[in-house]
Amino acid sequence: MLTENQNLTLNHKPGHIKHDGHNMTGFIIFLCSESIIFFAFFVGYSVLKISSPVWYPEGINGIDVKMPLINTVILVSSSFVIYFAEKYLHKKNLWGFRIIWFITMLMGSYFVYGQYVEWSELSFSLQSGAFGGMFYLLTGFHGLHVITGILLMGLMLLRSFLPDNYKGGEMGVESVSLFWHFVDVIWILLFGLIYLWQ
Amino acid sequence: MNTKIRRIKKSGFSKTFIISIAVILNITFSLLMGYWSYSWLPIQASEAAHYVDNLFAFETTIGTFIFLGCSGTMAWILVFNRAPKYDESNGEPLEGNLKLEIIWTLVPLLLVLGISTYSTSVNYKLENLGSKIKYDYGSEVPFVEEKKVFDYGPIDVISRQWNWEFIYPNGIHSSELHLPVDKKSNFRLITEDVIHSFYVPAFRLKQDIIPGSVITYSLTPTKEGVFRLRDAMFSGAYFSENQTNVIVESEEIFYKWIKETVKKELQNGLNPAGNLYQKRLRNGNRGWATVKPAPDPKVNDAGIESRPHDS
Amino acid sequence: MTIVNYDPRLVKSKNPYPKGPNDWKRFFSFNTDAKVIGIQYIVTALFFLLIGGLLAMLIRGELITPPSDLFDPTVYNGLYTMHGTIMLFLFLFPILSGLTNLLVPPMIGAPDMAFPKLNALAFWLVPVFSIILLLSFFVPGGPASSGWWSYPPISIQNPLGQIINGEMLWIIAISLSGISSIIGAVNFVTTIIRMRAPGMGFFKMPIFIWTVLAAQLLQLLGLPALTGGAIMLFFDLTFGTSFFRIEGGGDPVLFQHFFWFYSHPAVYVMVLPVFGIFSELFPVYSRKPLFGYKFVAVASFGITILSLVVWVHHMFYTGTPMWMRNLFMFTTMLIAVPTGVKVFAWIATLWGGNIRLTTPMLFCLGGLFNFIFGGITGVMLATVPVDIHVGNTYFVVAHFHYIIFNTIAFGIFAAIYHWFPKFTGKMFYEGLGKVHFALTFIGATLNWLPLHWAGLLGMPRRVASYDPEFAIWNVLASIGAFILGVASIPFILNMVSSWVRGKAAPPNPWKAIGLEWLLPSPPPHENFEEDIPTVLNEPYCYGLDKPFVEDEQFYIEKSLKEH
Ligand code: HEM
Ligand SMILES: [Cu+2]
Repeated sequence: MLTENQNLTLNHKPGHIKHDGHNMTGFIIFLCSESIIFFAFFVGYSVLKISSPVWYPEGINGIDVKMPLINTVILVSSSFVIYFAEKYLHKKNLWGFRIIWFITMLMGSYFVYGQYVEWSELSFSLQSGAFGGMFYLLTGFHGLHVITGILLMGLMLLRSFLPDNYKGGEMGVESVSLFWHFVDVIWILLFGLIYLWQ
Repeated sequence: MNTKIRRIKKSGFSKTFIISIAVILNITFSLLMGYWSYSWLPIQASEAAHYVDNLFAFETTIGTFIFLGCSGTMAWILVFNRAPKYDESNGEPLEGNLKLEIIWTLVPLLLVLGISTYSTSVNYKLENLGSKIKYDYGSEVPFVEEKKVFDYGPIDVISRQWNWEFIYPNGIHSSELHLPVDKKSNFRLITEDVIHSFYVPAFRLKQDIIPGSVITYSLTPTKEGVFRLRDAMFSGAYFSENQTNVIVESEEIFYKWIKETVKKELQNGLNPAGNLYQKRLRNGNRGWATVKPAPDPKVNDAGIESRPHDS
Repeated sequence: MTIVNYDPRLVKSKNPYPKGPNDWKRFFSFNTDAKVIGIQYIVTALFFLLIGGLLAMLIRGELITPPSDLFDPTVYNGLYTMHGTIMLFLFLFPILSGLTNLLVPPMIGAPDMAFPKLNALAFWLVPVFSIILLLSFFVPGGPASSGWWSYPPISIQNPLGQIINGEMLWIIAISLSGISSIIGAVNFVTTIIRMRAPGMGFFKMPIFIWTVLAAQLLQLLGLPALTGGAIMLFFDLTFGTSFFRIEGGGDPVLFQHFFWFYSHPAVYVMVLPVFGIFSELFPVYSRKPLFGYKFVAVASFGITILSLVVWVHHMFYTGTPMWMRNLFMFTTMLIAVPTGVKVFAWIATLWGGNIRLTTPMLFCLGGLFNFIFGGITGVMLATVPVDIHVGNTYFVVAHFHYIIFNTIAFGIFAAIYHWFPKFTGKMFYEGLGKVHFALTFIGATLNWLPLHWAGLLGMPRRVASYDPEFAIWNVLASIGAFILGVASIPFILNMVSSWVRGKAAPPNPWKAIGLEWLLPSPPPHENFEEDIPTVLNEPYCYGLDKPFVEDEQFYIEKSLKEH
């Protein structure tokens, strides 16, 4: 029967586990999961489009591609721009980072504005059959993500003015940038689905 | 420790003996269960029934064998491998056995391959389901040509919240489904509101009826009698009342029924849900919300709600 | 390895942990300690088990006689819908999250979860959506009453035409539950991937951790599909869109795909941790290594992958084309293979062991026995021609209760008893535990075994009234249900009185191997703190000469000293 034993020889080093610093892992896992919602919507869109006896609402044969195309170009290029912002941050060029980062935000905002203009010019609504619902659901849900991305970028921009903000690494900026790429990729798929496949 | 038991198990002869007895008993009982399983099912009244029942009996036999094999082993362990009260020592430290593990991966694999091949072949024999055509909901229900051969039909099966109506090729409406025995009858399954399911336990057949689609369906009744047709997909407040009868008759009587029914005036058909709803209204409309039941169907043959049924 | 006998004098020591049960206030706060959150989840879930059980008694009261005489059928429909919803989303998922919270950090040696604040948030969403769900009893028109499937068009009929209705609150509650589950899943997966003790490679993890990982990955992959479906359903119900409404070209069957794409895997989200519990407990109580550790571990992922491609077996008679039915029949049956690997491994673990029939072991054995039965009826249901007959009948109800209650809930009870001493620091009363087991086993068997025959004879599920030929099976089932109701009394008595005034528990009352058993009972706030053991072997080496961690003796003594 053992209770206390001071003479035990130990040969282990005390093990240690990091408490934090897991944000990026968690965020990537979350994004994978989030993409399934879009995937579900995309599948829903395709199934309904293929099988619906009526698809476009009355008086409409398709939707205009020009304006969304400009939007697409802006959003996709913003994904490259944000990459340079990150690069500046790595090089500790804070102002360079802030300016390019802000340009990304502007491009994102332009996208939202373009989306708004497109919506306000459309002649069908959320209630216009399966297509109407799907169109607004997909673009709206994606638009929400864009807005979230812009807000997060704003937050990162403000925090960049805090002293010592990057002491613990650049995880925040990296995550937001990852999110932005994600939003971008989703848009490309969405654009293909709604606008190109008519 | 239970050395006595251990010794018995160690002796090769008695071990094989016990196992063979157990296996023989298990096989016997499993076969019996397979045989009894036919009596757990309703009367076989369609050509599908005996396929389904054979398949079910087959699975019952195999299932019983596996279940008894596993639980018998567990029972054996519980009887012979119990630790005495203050014994806290360890058992035999077996970590695994690759050969065994491969066997019990492969055998179930082969087994399910076998079962699914068997049931796929049954599926191809039955082929009750014809086509499912979506149509624009606002417009007329389209006429769907059935590609498969059938002897009688198509009969329109109209399901509603909560009553059934059957419209025959010659235009008569009925609250009960009359069918000629041994003839392949064809249906167009239609719903006017939510999803319902056309389920006749004695036929072993069930098919959901989907709003916005016409589904063609064929089946061959093989036994005369009265069988229940039950809605099997939850369809709201009076779902459990959404039942009627299938009356399978000899060809002669069936055609006689057709001829006589044509002459009948349209009248109110079966609508037990409607009656219950009227009662609810009379009692002060208590309860939670429900859509109003569809009005009584207008039919030539009103049917008999309390007709005794065979299954 | 060496197993240290504890000094009986230590057992009687003072309350080992200054923040023990006396400090009950922390259970009502936004506490970020996974052990507190775990207990919060479990207690909340057990409360909802009582509510859901009460609804079950009402359901069975109605069904004890053929006509619908106790309630109006609309009320019956609301009751069974809420029963199913409460049992799944307010009892089973939360209680499993609770067990996972309690067990994962200590079992892998982590001080806490990766994201403690998110963890607390995930828990506090439970009372929020529970209240929303319960409030739906009081809105005009009553609660949701289209079954937990909530299939359109029946679920979007909205008879009173009000914006706020039971169905709407139901969808909101389910979506919040989904958010809570996703937060939980991100947390669990990150914790398991990133915070294991030194030396604990994947093939040294306890099987419970394997199964949690497999289950939570399923949540991450499947749940968003349901959320997507729920959003669309919400729009159809509230904003008049027509995703599933045929009037505008929508398709009601599409919802069924979304729903089952998640809800079939959901069954495995619930059952996988229970497989983990079985794999933990059988070795302990038969004093033997887990048979074929690696096979059992990998089989969990076999189940995860397969369960993502079987959902159409819930739709064999919705007009699904023949090839699809055959394909999904085959994939469904394939799940029997990894599952069989596990079942046979457990039986082989028991074989030749030194079986101790404690309460947790009884629940495990009962659960395994029932699971084999439920698994066999599951293969029958996967068989298309058989399913076409018994689908949507009481055979299905009987089958899934054999899984969901007779297996999953049994496993959960086993886990509660097994780890009760560890996390409360108190021993429970064996006698009461055994009474609880006996009543539960008898009640559950009487409740659900007879219903198989009702289903085979063609009694549809979800009915408020039925033809008199089914009466006998329903009377038996109702008696079983009432016995189950009674079974909750010894359980509650046992839990409450043991926690309040039970004997203090030693660190390792069952002489089990595992990191959590190297900690004092209850474990300190950060488990091993700054001295985490280095794992050498998987935690099942009973009777083998393989040490579990480096300097095991040191940790054992430390746990006894801190005690
Ligand atoms: C005392 C215990 C229980 C009794 C007597 C009971 C009884 C019932 C009954 C009679 C139904 C209605 C079936 C129908 O009409 O189709 C039902 C449905 C259901 N039960 Fe239970 N049950 C119990 C425990 C549980 C537990 C522990 C769970 C799970 C976690 C559970 C989950 C469900 C689900 C998911 C449904 C389906 C609801 C639906 O069809 O929409 N039940 N139960
Ligand atoms: Cu399933």
